[in-house]
Amino acid sequence: MNAIECENLSRSFGRVPAVQELNLEIPAGTFFALLGPNGAGKSTLLKLLLNLLRPTSGKSRVLGRESTSLKAADFRGIGYVADGQDLPEWMTVTQLLGFCRPLYPTWDQGLAVRLQGLFDLPGDRPIGKLSRGMRMKAALLSNLSYRPELMVLDEPFGGLDPLVRDDFIQGLLELPGDDRPRTFVVSSHDIDEVERLADDVGFLAGGRLLVHEPADALRGRFRTVEIVGNQALTVPSPIPPGWAEIKQPAPNVLQLVCTSFDASLGASEIQARFPGSGVAVQAMTLGEIFLVLARAHRGSDGKGAL
Amino acid sequence: MLPFTVVFRPGEPVYEQVTYAVKKAIATGQLAPGSRFPAVRTLSQELRINPNTAHKVVASLTAEGVLLVHPGIGTVVAPPASGSAADRAALLNDELERLVVEARRLGLDEEKILNAVRAHWRKFPKET
Repeated sequence: MNAIECENLSRSFGRVPAVQELNLEIPAGTFFALLGPNGAGKSTLLKLLLNLLRPTSGKSRVLGRESTSLKAADFRGIGYVADGQDLPEWMTVTQLLGFCRPLYPTWDQGLAVRLQGLFDLPGDRPIGKLSRGMRMKAALLSNLSYRPELMVLDEPFGGLDPLVRDDFIQGLLELPGDDRPRTFVVSSHDIDEVERLADDVGFLAGGRLLVHEPADALRGRFRTVEIVGNQALTVPSPIPPGWAEIKQPAPNVLQLVCTSFDASLGASEIQARFPGSGVAVQAMTLGEIFLVLARAHRGSDGKGAL
Repeated sequence: MLPFTVVFRPGEPVYEQVTYAVKKAIATGQLAPGSRFPAVRTLSQELRINPNTAHKVVASLTAEGVLLVHPGIGTVVAPPASGSAADRAALLNDELERLVVEARRLGLDEEKILNAVRAHWRKFPKET
């Protein structure tokens, strides 16, 4: 079963398209990282899914129900935490939890208590007086405690220090582990914090989904390559498929990003083009891969995909 | 606390890094045969990895016979592989071929690579 399905989903603001003809399926139980530069349409997409915005055309379904007909009862199974979201400033964390608890039949008080301890959240101070990190943790706590089937997080890590991020991730990992699949959709412009969590990665730019594949597949096919020769090297023409960001810092040195690396062949394919040269191949973090994708998009008038 | 450590490196599949760390912990004696192996949930939370990945780690180590599942008790580290020495050595064919290919590519001779293997071999405790 898919937790999320989008069919030609589009949304414009005036003449400006924010999400364009987007098709996407996220199977239940997946941790999906939605990446893209600022202004790529990530927040708009998440809001369309949760009916916080209406689509201009196309449609989306969430947990089997069309987004535009989501009812209050459906939101008992969906959590949503967004950077800078509204919270009742005058309530204390204890009051907030007391307020939420009767609204959700699946409320897990044991989990709420455990998370409050893990997050080191004071129960007696108004939310308006808490730091940014504390506020985000309060929002997460009030959402995780009803064990939603789908957890949507919009830029949850922005401006959080590493310790708070780690608390946050530990909190997220409290959710799975019972019989029901839990689906996470997390948007970020900086992937490093979800590097070890993401099953699948989607890369959004200019309102279009340019890449959607398993994180391990993405990590597997991207490599930085450095070729050092005894004499001057020439860039092959035409440029071999999958080569990007080719640089020649010195006549006998070529650096590039290979986007179609095949681990079973290793460096042999590249080596064969430059007999007698040294070829060094290095794996890349998702964060580095993300930068390559973003630069390729920027340089391609919105059409490029690697 | 987990009975083994993983130093994560960028770019490599998380699942491969964790399964390798477990095998290494067994080779060094950090994880002894018969000792309890952590539950999927504990692995996920302690290593901050996706629960699906943690599940895949346990499933593949079980399929390889590195771990044993005792219903109702949990997962334990299996005793060392049985079978003839030749059968067990055959399990390493792929890795050995890769090592030889890489060594030749780097221009190392047979003696140098055998010495390097010996040096690594001695880092681990003696067979008991």
